[in-house]
Amino acid sequence: MTEPGRPEASPLAGLAAGVVLVAAGLALFARALVVGADRGVTLGGPTFAPLVVTGLWVVVAGLYLGTQVVAWRRRTPATDDGPRPAWRAPLLLLALLVTYAFVLKYTAVGYVLATLAFYIGAAQLLSTRPFREVIARDAIVGLALSLTVYLAFTKLLGIVLPAGVLPL
Amino acid sequence: MNAFADLVDGFGTVLTPQNLLYAAIGVTVGTLVGMLPGIGPALTIALLLPVALELDDPTGTLIMFAGIYYGAMYGGSTTSILLNTPGESASVATSIEGYQMARRGRARAALATAAIGSFVAAIITTVLLTFVTEPMARLAVSFRASDYFALALLAMVTVTAVVGASLVRGLMSLTFGLFLGVVGIDALTGQARFTFGVASMLDGIDVVVVIVGLFAVGEALFIASRLRDLPEKPVPLEPATGFAWLSRADWARSWRPWLRGTALGFPFGALPSGGAELPTFLSYMYEKRRAKNKDEFGRGAIEGVAGPEAANNASFSGVLVPLLTLGIPTSATAAVMLAAFSYFNLSPGPQLFQTQSSLVWALIASLFVGNVLLLALNLPLIRLWVKVLQVPRPLLYAGILVFATLGVYAVSGNIVDVLLAYGIGLVAMLMRHLDFPIAPAILGLILGPLMETQFRRALLLADGDLSIFVTRPLTLALLLLAVAALALPHLPKLFRGRRADRLAVVTGED
Repeated sequence: MTEPGRPEASPLAGLAAGVVLVAAGLALFARALVVGADRGVTLGGPTFAPLVVTGLWVVVAGLYLGTQVVAWRRRTPATDDGPRPAWRAPLLLLALLVTYAFVLKYTAVGYVLATLAFYIGAAQLLSTRPFREVIARDAIVGLALSLTVYLAFTKLLGIVLPAGVLPL
Repeated sequence: MNAFADLVDGFGTVLTPQNLLYAAIGVTVGTLVGMLPGIGPALTIALLLPVALELDDPTGTLIMFAGIYYGAMYGGSTTSILLNTPGESASVATSIEGYQMARRGRARAALATAAIGSFVAAIITTVLLTFVTEPMARLAVSFRASDYFALALLAMVTVTAVVGASLVRGLMSLTFGLFLGVVGIDALTGQARFTFGVASMLDGIDVVVVIVGLFAVGEALFIASRLRDLPEKPVPLEPATGFAWLSRADWARSWRPWLRGTALGFPFGALPSGGAELPTFLSYMYEKRRAKNKDEFGRGAIEGVAGPEAANNASFSGVLVPLLTLGIPTSATAAVMLAAFSYFNLSPGPQLFQTQSSLVWALIASLFVGNVLLLALNLPLIRLWVKVLQVPRPLLYAGILVFATLGVYAVSGNIVDVLLAYGIGLVAMLMRHLDFPIAPAILGLILGPLMETQFRRALLLADGDLSIFVTRPLTLALLLLAVAALALPHLPKLFRGRRADRLAVVTGED
C-alpha cells in the first residue's frame, strides 16, 4: 500500500495513509450503523458511542486526506537526501514475533529455549553486522536474559511460564 | 495545618525499609528506561504491572511508580544533553542548550543544573501539591456526572491540540484511541461492540496491550526500518573530568530559571491541558527573551537547561492534582497510573482521600523521598548511566521485545492479546513514520470509556434531557473551554515551529 520510499517526507505515503484511514473509517462506521439499525439508537444506549467515534474517525480521516492531497499537489520534484526506511527488517521482525508467540503458547519448546532463539533472531534483524560476528555475544546475552526472567518469574513471583523440554 | 499532620503520617509509611527499597528501585529503573529513546515511563509502568500485581502491595507499587516517573524524566534529560536525542517531547527544550553545553565540555554543569533544578522544582511543587489536593478533593465532591464528562472532553481536546505536529494528526491519533476504548462488552447493557466474534475481545482491550504495542513494539519496528541510518552504538559525549559540578557563576545563573520554570510547570501540569511540553517550551522562550547575553543562547546557555528541566519536573506534580482528586489523567503516564490504580480496585477521585487517605499521603511523601534518592543516585553515578547508553542497539531492542511479549503474556496469558499488541505496534511504526503523535491515542483509550459512562449517567439523572449539559454552569463553562482549546493550537504554533526547526537541525547533524 505504502510506497517503499521515505514516508517521513513522501506525500505519496501520506496520501496512501489518508486513503486507508478513510476506507477503514467508512467500514467501521457502516458496521456501527448496521448494529445501530439492528438494536436501535438512543442517546444513552450502547450503540451511540460507536457511531460517534467512528463518525468522528471518518471526518478526521477525511480532513487528513485533504491535507495530504494539498501536500501532494504542492510536492516538489523528489530530492533524495533524507533517510529511507526499509520495510524488510520490520516485517521479518513482526513475523518472528508472531512465530515466537505461537511457539510459546502451542508448543512444548518452553520459555527459555523459545526466548533464546527469538532473542538471537531479533538481535540479528536489528543489527547491521554479519551473523558470525555477533552470534556468540547475542547467544550469551539471550541465554542469561531468558534464564533470569524464567527463574525470577516462576520461583520468585509465582507467575507460571512454560517450562518446556528443559529440566528446570 | 491538617495536611501537615497527614503528610507526617505519610512519611511514617514511606520511611520503612521495604518502601524505601521500592522508591530506590523506582528511581533507578526509571532513570535507566528514561535514557532509552522511545521507551518512556508509561511503557515501564505498564510492563511492571503484572509484577506489581503479584506483589500485591498498592502503597509500595505506587511509590515505585512515582519513582519511575521522576527517574525517567531525569534519564530523559541525560540523553538529551549527552546524545542530543530527546526521548520524549518534554525533553526537546532541554536538548537545545544542553547538547551545546556538552559539546563545549560543559556536560557536567548541564547535567548538574538539570538534576538540581529538577530536585528544587519537585520539592517546591510537592509542597504545593500537599496543600492543594485536599481542598481540591473537597471541591471535587460537588462535581456531577455532566461536569466529569465536560472535564474529560476538555482534557482530551487540549492535550491533542498541544501535542504533535498538526491538529489533524493529533485528532486522528485520539480517534484511534477512542475506537480501541469502545471495543468490548458495554458495561451497562452487556452489548458486544466491535469484538468481531473474538471471545477474548469481550473484556475490551487492556491498556497494557495498547501501551506495549504503541511504545515497545512500535519503537523496535521503527528502529528496524531505519537501521542503515543509525550507528550500531550511540556515541555519547563524555561528561568531562573534574569534581566541580556547578561553579559559583553557574549557581547564580541557574537559581532564578529554576524558580521561574517551577512557577510555569506546576499550573500547566495541573490544568486539564496537562503535560510538560508547553511549560518547558514557554520556560525556554522566556529565559531566552530575558537573558542579558542573548547571543549565548544556541551555544550552550545554562539558563536554557535550568528553566525547562525545572518546568518539566514541576508539571508532573501538577499532573497529579487532577489525577488524584478527579481521576482525570492528562498525560500518557498519568493514564497508565490510573490503570494501575484500577488494577488494585482503587478509583482516584474525591473519595480516594476519604477511603484511602493513608495511601495518598504515603504517595505524596514518597515524592519527597524519591527526589532525594534520585539526586543522591544520579550525580555520583553519572558515569555508570553513560555506560548504559553504550549498550548495542540490537541487544537493547531485542530485550525490550522479550519484555514486551512477557508483559502482555503475563497479564493475560492470551495469545490474542499478544498478537493485538504486535498489530498495534505495526500501526505505531507507521504513525512514527507519518508523524502522528502517540500520547492522544492512550488518552482516548482511557478517557473515552470514562466520558461515555459519565455522559450516560448524566442523561440518566436528567431523565434523558440533553439540556443538562448547557444548563449547569460548571459543565457549560468546561465545554466552552474545550471549544476554545481547539482554537489554542494557533497560539503554540510559534513554539512548534521552533521545535520543528530544531528537529530538522538534529537530523541534519547526525
